[in-house]
Parts: sequence; structure tokens; C-alpha cells
Amino acid sequence: MNNNVVIKAENVSKKYCKSLKESMVYGMTDIGKNVLGLSSHSEILRKDEFWAVDNVSWEIKRGESFGLIGPNGSGKTTLLKMLNGIFWPDKGKITVQGRVGALIAVGAGFHSLLSGRENIYINAAIRGMNRKEIDKKFDSIVAFADIGDFLDSPVKSYSSGMYVRLGFSVAVHCEPDILLVDEVLSVGDKDFQIKCYQKMSEIRKSGTTIILVTHNEHTIREYTSRCLYLERGKEKFLGPSEDAVSMYIKDVLEYKSAKTPLNAITKSREQGKAELISLKFFDSKGQEISFLESGQELTIQLECLIHEKLCNPIFGVNFYDNTGFNYSINSDYENQKFNGDLIGRIKVKIHIKEFHVPTKNYLCSTVIAEETPDNLMDWHNMTYKFVVGRARNARGALKLPTRWEVEKAK
Amino acid sequence: MQQQKIATYEPDNSLKKGYRSIFGEILNEVKANRWLTYQLFRRDFFSMYKQSLIGFVWIVILPIVNVATFILLSRSGIFNLGHISVPYPIYAISGMAFWQIFSSGIIACGSSLANAGDMILRINFSKKSLVFASIGKPIVSFLIQFVLVGILFIVYGMVPQQTIFLVPIVIIPIIFLTLGLGFIVSLLNAIVRDAGSLLSIGMTILMYLTPVLYARPEMGLLGQITKYNPMYYFITTGRDLVLKGTITAPKGFLISSLISFLILIVALIIFHLTETRISERI
Repeated sequence: MNNNVVIKAENVSKKYCKSLKESMVYGMTDIGKNVLGLSSHSEILRKDEFWAVDNVSWEIKRGESFGLIGPNGSGKTTLLKMLNGIFWPDKGKITVQGRVGALIAVGAGFHSLLSGRENIYINAAIRGMNRKEIDKKFDSIVAFADIGDFLDSPVKSYSSGMYVRLGFSVAVHCEPDILLVDEVLSVGDKDFQIKCYQKMSEIRKSGTTIILVTHNEHTIREYTSRCLYLERGKEKFLGPSEDAVSMYIKDVLEYKSAKTPLNAITKSREQGKAELISLKFFDSKGQEISFLESGQELTIQLECLIHEKLCNPIFGVNFYDNTGFNYSINSDYENQKFNGDLIGRIKVKIHIKEFHVPTKNYLCSTVIAEETPDNLMDWHNMTYKFVVGRARNARGALKLPTRWEVEKAK
Repeated sequence: MQQQKIATYEPDNSLKKGYRSIFGEILNEVKANRWLTYQLFRRDFFSMYKQSLIGFVWIVILPIVNVATFILLSRSGIFNLGHISVPYPIYAISGMAFWQIFSSGIIACGSSLANAGDMILRINFSKKSLVFASIGKPIVSFLIQFVLVGILFIVYGMVPQQTIFLVPIVIIPIIFLTLGLGFIVSLLNAIVRDAGSLLSIGMTILMYLTPVLYARPEMGLLGQITKYNPMYYFITTGRDLVLKGTITAPKGFLISSLISFLILIVALIIFHLTETRISERI
């Protein structure tokens, strides 16, 4: 194996069994065959078996940070477990060079009745540290976990945050050559998350290879350079993280929109006076879009049918992110008055010169109201999908409008 | 750059390497994981009586209750204990001490993988250590129960035979047999939980079939079964070393020891060949 390649997966596949009963029978037969020195012919699918990971190949170089993305059930975790040697592939071959550490469900193996101190020793031993190493790093583990006086109390009495901190701390102190991270960083409070990411950056700088599995596209963008996008166990894309994430988001949205027709009216009030038809997005060239780089020009077009004359009509569009946070555009706040004799099918266009909104997936709502924003005539609630991405060379969640100046200091 | 370990994972890995390299692999793994095994033992042992008021006293309560039941059955004429030349409590409790290494050992080893379920799914570590560590608790229990036997000797004003120092010779084959069967049961139990339930029933039956609490009947079906029961030879030899100073059935003891050793070797190989299959079925 090339000295710089630390992980090499060649045509790796892994199968699972859907039925527990069959799984028990297959397990026994496979063991029986192996004991007799026969191959278990794992490359053949039996009844109720399916490929959870299907013919995936890739290489990871020393010090690289690599991401795995894909929807639930796409085989990310299975792949990670195979890299760790917990599962063995049913087809293909994985070669791993160096000590592998896993941040997969930290705290696994803790005994709730034993103290934090006792658990540190046991957990570190399970993770492959020897006595000398643990003695040397014990203080550092305790300091990072920040569990204070609870060190000698049973882990049972820990808050869930303390539990995770201690687990994470033990795991990262094992100084692996390759660190596998699976969604663990989403637990714990903000302070601790920041600490974890700092620690991860530190580990990365020291030359450790990191493999990160997450649903969070920001994490992938920020912490990995290359990414494998899995779909139903198969490789969909392998390459720069930015491209992989864009592709992933696009797919997720297309899948969602296929499930909800774009002009589905989820709720409407006062039917009869006015009704919304559609909400569309256009870029600077007038092309209809569902994806925009943050900071680019955007035109939003709202189409509606007004049956009766409205007294002071109000139009609004909201962008909701997954946390419920919302960016709102409303003609009432903007003091936009419309001609009272708006009637029939009309298009309302909102031009935004620079759409400075964080890179995220949004669900958009649109409303038409009369006189006050609360007096709704029609409302499409979180019906339209819109993605804000970022330029490949950009950093962070948002492109800020800036003006630069350089001058010689006196 | 320091030489880093290279691991290769592919189907039927060990088969491809051949049986000869398996011994080396097993020995290296066991050696490298001694400390882990000790830590796992500590975890099992110290957590066992953590949420308990009388803690380790439980270790002596179980044999005392068993022995008391047998005394009661015998006094009321329901059960004939057979001809026993030493005070019955000493006979029975020393027998129980040897027996429980096997019985609780095999149950602990057999359930070690299934109980560790979550850990096995998430961390890659030596699963042999889990099974090895499980035998630790019964060995400590044996030592504690042996102290109880010592107290009984004082109570009855008796002195044990000098051959008591040879008792470890009996303990070793018992451990071999227990671990050997424990490795196999742990694999089966990890895949099919029925194995564990069957084992608990089996142990109860086996205890009554083995002359632990009564003397070996010379005749009848039980006498015949006993002839082929390695645990009979181990317990009798162990008790002989403490109480008699001579060994009643040396040949049976030697053959049983040899068989136990072979069972352990075969079990280790089977376990080694199949342990990676366990995490996906557990």
C-alpha cells in the first residue's frame, strides 16, 4: 500500500438481513461453515438479505479529512463500522494503516454504577490504551471532560452532558492515527460543541486522518475537504465536499418536492376574495431557480388571482430554516402601497439586489392579506423549497456585503 | 516514520491465512489484551455488589442455603446423601466451591457477549477478553467460599490434609473446561438467545446429576452417568486433596483434564474464526 494512503477500500460491500429469524439461521450456518474451514460465500445474497453497502471503493490519504454524507439508511454508519473492523465486508477488501479511534456513540461501555474515575480506566482500556498511557493522560482526560467533583461519583448520577463529555474526552485522548466521527458532536451544550470542534481541529493539525459522518452540511463543508456521497449503499459522488454537499441538498429537495406538489395549498382563509397561485424564484438572468449563492441577485415572483377588489392588499414571503428561524419580506413593513384596482390574475415581483441570507435549506411561505398582515386572504404555508448555497471559495455561512480599501499607514 | 500496524478486512479472512497462523494470532491477541481483560474483570466484579447492602456476603449465602436444603431433605428422609465420612457441611460446601467455578463461570462467559451488545457494536476490541474476564468472578467466589470451608474446619476442630496446597492443580482444568464451553456458548447465545436460557436449565440439572452435595452412588443410572462426567472427577479430586490426602480416581482426573484442555483449544479456534460475525448478529 502506498505509504501516504491510510485507508483503502476496494469494491466493498456489506449485506444485512431484514428478518431476525433468518438472520439467526444464517449466523449459525456461516459459523458452522467457517468452523469446518469452508467459505461462507458471503458474496451471494440469500432470501431477505440486501446490500446495505454496495461496491464502494475509495482511498484516504494521511492527514486528510473526509466526509460521508447521505440520507438515513444510505450505509454511512455501516461503512464507518467496517473501517473500524467491527463489521467485516462481505465482498471486497479494506486495508487500514494505523490505530483507529472511533467517536461513535461515546460513552458506550460505561458502567453506570462505577465512578467516573473507574470508567475512565475501563473505557480507555476498551479503546486500546494501556495502563501507562492512561496514567499519563488521566489528568488531561478529566480536565477536558470538566466533570469537577463528580469524578468519584457513579456515572449514574451524571447529567447527560457530563456523560457525553467524559466519553468524548476518553475517546479523543486515545490519540488515534485515524479518527472516525459519527454525529456525536450534535450532543452536549454549545460550549462543549465548540470545545469539541477545536479539539478536532487540533487533532487534524497533528496529522490525524479524520472521517466524519453527519447530516449537517455545514460541518461537512467546514471540516472536510473531500466527501463520499452515498445513496442506498452505492457511491453517488466522490470528490470535493462542496460539490458533494450541493448535490446532496439538491437531491433532498427534489425528493421532498416530488412528495409535495409545488402549488399545494395547505391552508387558506376567506376564500373567494383572492387566492395564491404560485411562488417562483429567478436569478439575475431571469432563469427560474431553486438554488442561489448567498449574496447574489434574486427576484421573487408571487402569482395570484384576485376576485374582488381588496382594500390595501399586503403581500408577504417568508424563508424558514430548519430551526424555525425565519427571514421575512412583507409589503406592509416596506410601506409598499398597491393600486386599489388590482383585480384578476396578477404577478408581484420582489427584486433583491443582494440576497444576503445564510447558506441553508429554506421552506418558503407566501401570504396575501388585506389591510393588516394578520387578515389573511390566502396562505401557502412552508410550501416552496429554496436553497441558499455559497461560492466554492467562500467560508462561513453568509457572504457579507463588503467594500474594501487599502491605504498606506503613515 | 514509525511502523504502523496494517489491518486488512475481507471475507473469510482467517480462512485465507490458514489454520497454522491462527494459534499465533490468538496468543498475541490474548497477550496484548491482558490489561483490558483485567479491567473488564474489575468492572464486572466491582459493579456486581455496588448497589447492595451486604455485598460480598452473598457469595457465601448461596452455598450455605443449598447445603442447608440438602441437610433438611436428608434429615426428613426424602433424599439419601449416601455414605460420607466427613462432616457433611465441609463435604458439601467444599464441593459447591469447586462446582460454582464451572456453573457460574459458564453462565457468565456464555452471556458475556450478549450482555456487552452495545459495546461490541460500537467499539472494536478483543471480544476474547470479555469471555476471559468473565471467569474472574467465579474464581474470586471460590477463594471466598474456601475461606468458609476453612472456618468450618475450625468449627469441627479438624485439620485439612497437607495436599490442600495442590488444589490449584484441580482449579486449572476446571477453568479450561469452563472457558472452553463458555466460548462456544457465548457465540451461540449472541446469535440465538435460547442458548442462554437452555444453559441455565442445563446447569441446574447438571448440578443434581453431579455428586456435589451427595456421595457418588455406586450403582444405577446416576452411577453410570457420573462415570463420564468430567466435573465429577474434578470435584472429587479437589475434595480428596482437602479431606483425604489421596486421589480416588487419578486416571479419570487426568483424562478429564486432557479433554478439558482440548475443548479449550478447539473452542478458541472456533471463536477466533467466527467472532467478527458476532457483531452483525448480536
